[in-house]
Amino acid sequence: MKYIVKRVLLAIPLIIVMTFIAFLIMKLAPGDPANMYMDPSVSAQDVIQLKKNLGFDKPVGIQYVIWLKNILKGNMGYSYITSKSVFASITERLPATLLLSVSSMLLIIISTFPLGIIAGAKKGSFFDNAVTVLSFLGLSIPTFWLGLMFILFFSLKLDLLPTAGFMNPSLTNASFLIKAFDIGKHMLLPLLTILIGGLAVLTRYHRSGIINILEMDYIKAARARGLSETRILFKHAFKNAALPIITILGLSLPGLIGGSFIIEYIFSWPGMGQLGVSAIFARDYPILMGTILFSSALIIMGNLLADIAYAWIDPRIKKS
Amino acid sequence: MMVLVVGCKKDKSLNDWGAQVPDPNGMLNLSLSAEPSLLNPILSTDAYSSEVIGKVFNGLIRINEDLKPEPDLATSYNVSEDGTIYTFYLRKDVKWHDGRNFTAEDVSFTFKTIMNPDTNTVRRSNYYINKKPISIIIVNDYVLKIISPEPFAPLLMSLGIEILPEHILNKDDINKSKFNFNPIGTGPYKFVEWKSGQYIKLVRNENYFGPKPKVKEILYKIIPDTNTNLVSLSKQEIDMAGIPAKDLKRFEKDENLEIFQYQKLHYSYIGINQVHPILYDIRVRKAISHAINKDSLVRSVLKGKGKAAWLPTSPELWSYPDNQNNIPKYDYSPEKSRKLLVAAGYEFDHQKKLYKKNGKELALTIFVPKGNKVGEKCVQIIQQFLAQVGIKLDIQVKEWRSLLKIINASDNPKKFDMVMLGWSLGIDPDSYSIWHSSQYPNGFNFIGYRNLAVNKLLIAGRQEVNIPKRKAIYEEIYQKIAFDVPYIFLFYPDTIIGVNKRVGGLSRPGPAGLMNRIEDVFVTKPL
Repeated sequence: MKYIVKRVLLAIPLIIVMTFIAFLIMKLAPGDPANMYMDPSVSAQDVIQLKKNLGFDKPVGIQYVIWLKNILKGNMGYSYITSKSVFASITERLPATLLLSVSSMLLIIISTFPLGIIAGAKKGSFFDNAVTVLSFLGLSIPTFWLGLMFILFFSLKLDLLPTAGFMNPSLTNASFLIKAFDIGKHMLLPLLTILIGGLAVLTRYHRSGIINILEMDYIKAARARGLSETRILFKHAFKNAALPIITILGLSLPGLIGGSFIIEYIFSWPGMGQLGVSAIFARDYPILMGTILFSSALIIMGNLLADIAYAWIDPRIKKS
Repeated sequence: MMVLVVGCKKDKSLNDWGAQVPDPNGMLNLSLSAEPSLLNPILSTDAYSSEVIGKVFNGLIRINEDLKPEPDLATSYNVSEDGTIYTFYLRKDVKWHDGRNFTAEDVSFTFKTIMNPDTNTVRRSNYYINKKPISIIIVNDYVLKIISPEPFAPLLMSLGIEILPEHILNKDDINKSKFNFNPIGTGPYKFVEWKSGQYIKLVRNENYFGPKPKVKEILYKIIPDTNTNLVSLSKQEIDMAGIPAKDLKRFEKDENLEIFQYQKLHYSYIGINQVHPILYDIRVRKAISHAINKDSLVRSVLKGKGKAAWLPTSPELWSYPDNQNNIPKYDYSPEKSRKLLVAAGYEFDHQKKLYKKNGKELALTIFVPKGNKVGEKCVQIIQQFLAQVGIKLDIQVKEWRSLLKIINASDNPKKFDMVMLGWSLGIDPDSYSIWHSSQYPNGFNFIGYRNLAVNKLLIAGRQEVNIPKRKAIYEEIYQKIAFDVPYIFLFYPDTIIGVNKRVGGLSRPGPAGLMNRIEDVFVTKPL
């Protein structure tokens, strides 16, 4: 417990440094929200006044201090583009992103372990070859293309699923179950698209992890002791092979809230990815800083969770 | 010619619709390719916001399908002979969506809010004529005078901006108000809800002062991906979508769709840096113009959907000259191009097939914004055209914001040779901000064009309120600009729109769009 508290406290200066660097990088990018007009009806004086109103006439350091002060007061600011509060902008996008990313992550975890174990244990078998070929396919098909093909096939040709979006707008007042079913229908294609890419990567990792471990001396010793192959695989090999997967999963935690821009773009999914990318293009600093703050907190939390999971799976780590 | 062709099309489709019945409870499904920024007419600048704002709000005047102003929140208006006093007689039957009466106070509040320096708007200088503000005098609740410090023709269009409700916004900080995403207007449609990244829903305003809108609900789905948008159109999930020229053939076969082609107020051009060591020479600029075959660009890049441009306005605007014989056209002629280069002191290097001067190759760079597919294709073909006469052209694809940083920088000279861009024009032909030499280096005359005669005419054009006289002024301006080759005007691309046949009551296709009068648009009952 003390360990966790210490880790969390250490994270605070880390987040401040991170946001400062992010702020600097952002300011180095060419242009600012007031400089983005290419519209002959907008005059230069108006742009200068706008810059003044938004505080861009101040030095970058001062701008950062103002931002930080407001954050400490619990005020994340207002978007330059939409005038909406940053907190509201992020929280209205978060549910859709979490829904898609958490369910895809769960499905990936559920399917990657059995696939990886069987492929690794039966190296060279038909099943292993099939998994390998499919994984490479999954890795090499670009998501934007796959997503479009799914839309064309399942939505346009077979007419089974809606093309894009989150929920049918006519269901605003429908019961929870009907809404959930409708969201599920909208989510199926983006989920499938993410799954194919994500599953491929992790399965490759897990398979090679299992193969490496099965060649270790302690496994040979276990075999020599006459333990059953299932026991060796699940009791001895599985835990060790799971370690690198946990690292990868911990690292991908921030991706859970970051959302996938390409998926969201193709399927009109109202998530964080679209919010973040459009904020980058519009140089909407308050929104960008808000999302960076959220995701840096999550990266640190993800690492912490991964460390705890390590200790749980491999008690030796806790002792050292 | 364009209008004629499209006009015939519409007559045919009207007959098709004849037998069908408008559905009074119908829903019109539209799409937006990006999320609107905010639904406040004085703060937003993007087309997606304007699209929705136009349904929810009204201005003192509106633009009809002939691109002419007509009273909207007013029953009538007049302009004093000297062009400085605008008197508006407001409608007395207008109610805000929350039931309050609309009065002259709202109009005055709207203009004063725009002119307040604390408001984050880029519209302020429209209401300052030569740095002097306009004044607003409320005669009574329904009569309003707006006084301009001097005659200024473009002001009328600026006075058409949508009016905000004073009673809701008078205590709010407009820059952060919830009103900006929960608007209350006077328009034919009331705002219902906005789900970020998903849709915006509007419902018919039963108390609308104009004719009762025929469609009950309008749903704007936010669909960023063009391909997804097109699939939604085929699947009839949305009723209307823009179709890229390359996909037109496929959609012409779709029995559910009616295809409309028309022009918006837009032209594409190559901007040439006028203060550039090579390009300052008009002979080189003329040579470049003679090297480019615009008709071939239209045929290949736009698949024939558009037409060549020779001057800086749109054929759809009243300011377009009736007689273009006086407009200099440096049209396609590699022969003339080469002669001009020789006259400018360049020598042809037969080995490299390039022109040279003082041992230096005639090599230029063109910037094109990333993601603009038409622009990217266009510059590749232009590269070939220039290579044919012996000019080397390098292409640099630039991210939009980085490109803006270069051309909007305040340095002189700016760091570019040529740039491929387009202008979307306003209804008023005033183009002071693009061509007046005071708009360089800060302003939209980023190429550094400087012609004192044009400067004078631009100011005269703003001060003249008589339309035929103004038209003559603009003809002279276009003639002089075309002569100087500051831009190479390329083409006017067609807009191609597919509309589901269940939608009727569309306006004549043109720059004002197909749904200029949204009240008249209806959808027929599903089978």
